[in-house]
Amino acid sequence: MAALTPYTYIQCPCADPSTLGHPSGPNAPTDTDADEDDRTFDPRAPRSNYSLYPLEYLLYCEDCHQIRCPRCIAEEIVTYYCPNCLFEVPSSNLRSEGNRCTRNCFQCPICIGPLAITSLETKPNPGLLAASDNTAAPHHGPYALTCSYCHWSSTEVGIKLDKPNNVHAQLARLQNGGATRLTGKERKERRADPSKAQDADGRRRGASRDGQDLDLETQFTNLKTFYQSQLADPESSDSGLAPLGDLGYSSPTSLSRIMHLYTGGGRQDKKAKSRVGAMREALGSGEGLQLAHLDESAAIAALQAAGHDGTASTTQLLEQPPHLGAAHPHGSARLAASLRPIPYLLRTKRSKRCPLCRHIISKPEAKIQTTRFRIRLVAGTYIPSLAIRALSLSSGNPPGPAAAAAAGGLLDPLKPAHFLLTFKNPLFDPIKVTLGAPAATPGRFASRVTVLCPAFEVDANTDVWDEALKDGGGGERDKERGGRERRRRKGEDGGGSGGGGGGGGGQNQLEVGKIWERGRNWVSIVVEVVPASLQAPVGGGQPGLLQEDEDVLEIPMFVRVEWEAEAGGDEVGAVVSRDREAKEKRELAYWCVLGLGRIRQS
Amino acid sequence: MSSKRLSILPPVSSSGPKPPVHFSSSITIADSALLTGTHQVTVLSESVIHPRARLDSSAGRLNLGRRCIVHERAHLGLVPTNGRFTEAAVTLGDYVAVEVGAVVEAGNTVVGEGSTVGVGARVGAGAVVGKHCTLTPHTEIAAGAVVPDFTIVFSNGMRRTDRRGVAVELKNKAVARQIDVLRRMIPSNPAKFV
Ligand SMILES: [Zn+2]
Ligand SMILES: [Zn+2]
Ligand SMILES: [Zn+2]
Ligand SMILES: [Zn+2]
Repeated sequence: MAALTPYTYIQCPCADPSTLGHPSGPNAPTDTDADEDDRTFDPRAPRSNYSLYPLEYLLYCEDCHQIRCPRCIAEEIVTYYCPNCLFEVPSSNLRSEGNRCTRNCFQCPICIGPLAITSLETKPNPGLLAASDNTAAPHHGPYALTCSYCHWSSTEVGIKLDKPNNVHAQLARLQNGGATRLTGKERKERRADPSKAQDADGRRRGASRDGQDLDLETQFTNLKTFYQSQLADPESSDSGLAPLGDLGYSSPTSLSRIMHLYTGGGRQDKKAKSRVGAMREALGSGEGLQLAHLDESAAIAALQAAGHDGTASTTQLLEQPPHLGAAHPHGSARLAASLRPIPYLLRTKRSKRCPLCRHIISKPEAKIQTTRFRIRLVAGTYIPSLAIRALSLSSGNPPGPAAAAAAGGLLDPLKPAHFLLTFKNPLFDPIKVTLGAPAATPGRFASRVTVLCPAFEVDANTDVWDEALKDGGGGERDKERGGRERRRRKGEDGGGSGGGGGGGGGQNQLEVGKIWERGRNWVSIVVEVVPASLQAPVGGGQPGLLQEDEDVLEIPMFVRVEWEAEAGGDEVGAVVSRDREAKEKRELAYWCVLGLGRIRQS
Repeated sequence: MSSKRLSILPPVSSSGPKPPVHFSSSITIADSALLTGTHQVTVLSESVIHPRARLDSSAGRLNLGRRCIVHERAHLGLVPTNGRFTEAAVTLGDYVAVEVGAVVEAGNTVVGEGSTVGVGARVGAGAVVGKHCTLTPHTEIAAGAVVPDFTIVFSNGMRRTDRRGVAVELKNKAVARQIDVLRRMIPSNPAKFV
């Protein structure tokens, strides 16, 4: 089985309902400390899947001083745009035109590749003279949409376009096969203009009598007009109901019920009842009646002829946009040859707010062509990053299990392995880190865990150049030298104490309570693990079959970070001392999971 | 100790004996094309063989039709693990394009007239690809498979029939124009392989 690279996931505090969003002031979490101590977070619990994120996925609210994950963030749409032509779509258009690009952007219905508009005109003599022809008369209609990947062409469904622009509107008017149809807007216009309406109605009647060829939009409009005319009758005849009609009681049944309440079965009620009874259903297709095609032999024959390759897949059907000009779906064969071009779905740019204080945490540039952000408070600039590296104590020692782990191998059960955790401080203030990890990992196979140095300080993230530029000042240089000396001394100490840890003779020594290595704004500490044997589950008995990833050694670790920051004075839970200049204490605590590697299955 | 960086590429055309060739006088073959094997390699008129294209006739003859284009690092006649001798290892019809890094295995493999073997695609031993087919990049055709004429193989082996009604003449003219350009760009050295 492949070894895995070590990883760190951080649990967003929103997963714990008791701390949801509350600012973790220094005095706030004292009462929750107790239950946090006895409740070890289990990274294998099914719920944990939903709250563990890599550091890069997390944001940070500066006002609540809390981590925010994709689950505990309120999103707002900044702009809608087409991913293909990068045009912004105003939200008013969205309501009327739908959520797809209404310009010339289409996807291939077969392979979802972008479609290009190409001229179908074949040049009379495209020999070597074609170059000059191109310059003279570049394009002539008709045009087709073509996919350069799977070579699909809209001519396959009989669609040819007259113009190379305004394709969306042209397609709405075209049926598969090239027949034109009236769009809803045009229909409305015709109705408004009686001379045209006569003509259109006549044509529609003619079509409806012989054919079942009502498309979805026509059928709906016919049904709607029919029922409206049915409703109009009783209302217009009874003057007493006019004010009620204004109130929205346009349904005959509710009207009659209300009339019954007020009149107690008078003359009007009877009249209304008889009218309600007179309401009938649609009879012809002119009124919106569409008979189902029960004879499906044609569809079956088409499917048999096309075979599997010619049948539209579920994905392809799902990608299809709703086409109002489509025939009633009943009894139609779902062939790949009937798929239409897909107008691009619009995308959004979203800003993110903290759900509690409503402050904006992330806000993209409104301009679509840029990918920059105006505001983006990523967690990585507020909480220390954690890197894991397998530590091989090779100096002097024969290559042990740790060395094998360092080489990307598997972890040997019951043999101690060491890992180096490096905490890097992104803040401009020094931080104090306290770690807590259970002695044994939760789950069926309990590996033993020892954090050799659970409390330490990490220096501030000062500017790299600050030290270099200030080098002239003797004080800084002294400080720097002091730091270097401190580091060296630590090594000597380790050497002097002899067999403190497992290693021998190296400059760095495994020693409880000692930092392994320290840099400008980072500190490395060592974690010792004794991987469990996959043959011996905690409760005893047979191990049985391993569940997915049960051989991965994951350590839950509670991280508490404390630091003193400039007092902003606007925090809710912060301790503001009398002195405005004074620093204020901040604290952030969260669970994280360290994935160290897979345990060898013997 | 030499500080000269050595090329990781195998030395061009120094491996094995020269295969017997039968070249039309109008072909364009780059100096750094790699011809290996022991059987005959036939290339008909106006075909173009790009630099570092590999033609291996160790498992049978290679026949390339007219106006074929074999792109860089394309490999014709790769002998599969259980490969054996066949009379014609690879046969390309006229106007066939084998694009960059594509592989056509040896073993009576046929690519029909006007077909395109896409970038990084692989045609298995004994497969028969019909006329005017398009194998999109990184397509794999299984050994012995038959691909009917005008088929497009795309996205992990899905197949569909080309219904564009391509004017074959028009397409061939375009290939001729492309070859015209390539001729000017690739210095030809057929004498090296004879
Ligand atoms: Zn907030
Ligand atoms: Zn969250
Ligand atoms: Zn668009
Ligand atoms: Zn396509």
